[in-house]
Amino acid sequence: MTYEEYLDGKPVVITAALTGGIHGKETHPGLPETPAEIAEAAAAVEEAGAAVVHLHARRENGERAFSTERFQTVTDAVRDATEDVVIQHSTGGTAAPDALRAEPLCTDPAPEMASLDMGPMNRGRRLTSENTRDTIDGLHAEMRERGIKPELEVFNNGHLNEAFRILDELAEPPYLNLILGPGTLTPPSPANLQRLVEQLPDGAEFNVIGFGPHQLPLTTQSLLLGGHVRVGLEDNSYLREGERATNAALVERAARIAGELGRPVASPAEARELLGVRSRR
Amino acid sequence: MACPHLDYRESDGDREFDVARAFCTVADEFVQPVHADVCAERYGLDPESDCEIFRDRAGLDWDE
Ligand code: SF4
Repeated sequence: MTYEEYLDGKPVVITAALTGGIHGKETHPGLPETPAEIAEAAAAVEEAGAAVVHLHARRENGERAFSTERFQTVTDAVRDATEDVVIQHSTGGTAAPDALRAEPLCTDPAPEMASLDMGPMNRGRRLTSENTRDTIDGLHAEMRERGIKPELEVFNNGHLNEAFRILDELAEPPYLNLILGPGTLTPPSPANLQRLVEQLPDGAEFNVIGFGPHQLPLTTQSLLLGGHVRVGLEDNSYLREGERATNAALVERAARIAGELGRPVASPAEARELLGVRSRR
Repeated sequence: MACPHLDYRESDGDREFDVARAFCTVADEFVQPVHADVCAERYGLDPESDCEIFRDRAGLDWDE
C-alpha cells in the first residue's frame, strides 16, 4: 500500500470488470452480456493476466438481473471457461430492493469475493443508488457468514468514514476500491487519488477504478503507489480515443505497464494470498 | 405496467440485436439497461417520478 511496496516489486492484482449493469450493447456492441459471452471474456482476460473477474448478471435482452439463478448461470459458465481466476460478484444495484442485492451472494459455491458499496451515488438526474448503513451492514453480515471477501467500494472521500466504521469487523487485510470519475464519485485527478491513499488504514490493500479516459492514468498511478488496478468494459469502453476496447486488450495493457514499472502481475493464487481470499476453485 | 413511451425493438435502422431491447420513442434511442428498469416500472420505479425524459415530455417541474 505504499511507494516502498512499489519499489519492492510487490505483485499487482488486476481485476477485470467484464460487463457491469449500467450500459450494454447499445453503447458498445462488443460488450459481453450473455453467460457464454461473459465466460469467453473471462477466459481471455485470465490469459491476459487478470487474477479477478468482477461479474454482473443480465436478462436475455441485456437488462439487469439480480437473482441467484441468473448469477449461478454466469458464474458456472465462468468457472467452466477459466482455470483459476478469482470470482467476484457485484452486490451493487441502483434502486433494487435490499433482498435482491443479497441474491448474488447465494450461489453454490458462493463467490470468493463480492463488492460492497459504502454509500450513495447519484445516477442521472433522478436516480440515486442509496446504499444505506442498514444495506451495507446487512450485505456485509451475509458475506461474513458465507466466507466471502468484501471489496469496499469507496465512491468518494466521505465513504472512507463508512469503511472506517466497519473496520473492526473486516477480515485482514481490509480491501478498498477507490473510484474516481464524474458525478458524485471522487473527482478524477492524481492529487485526489494520492489524498485518498494517504488516508487509508494501516495494512489495507487498495484497488483503483478510473472511469472512461481516467482508467489508464489513474490505474497507472495506483501501480506506483503500491495499489492494485481494475480495468474492463464496465468502466471504460475505449482503448484510446476513437478505438473501442475489448476486456482482454485493457487487461493486456495494464499487465504490460505493470511489467514495465517492475510490478509483477499476480496469479489468482497470489491474489488470494495477498487479499486474504478463501479459494473456492 | 410500463412507460407508454417504451417499445422493445431489435433494430433502430442502424443497429441490429438478436434479442429485442428497450427503446424510448421520445428520445428515439435504445435505453441503457440501468434505466430500462424505470421504463419497465420494476422495483417500484416510475417514469413520472424517476425519468427525466418522461418528465420533460410531460412538462413537469422538478418538485411536481
Ligand atoms: S426513457 Fe423514460 S420516457 Fe423513455 S421509455 Fe423509458 S421511462 Fe419512458
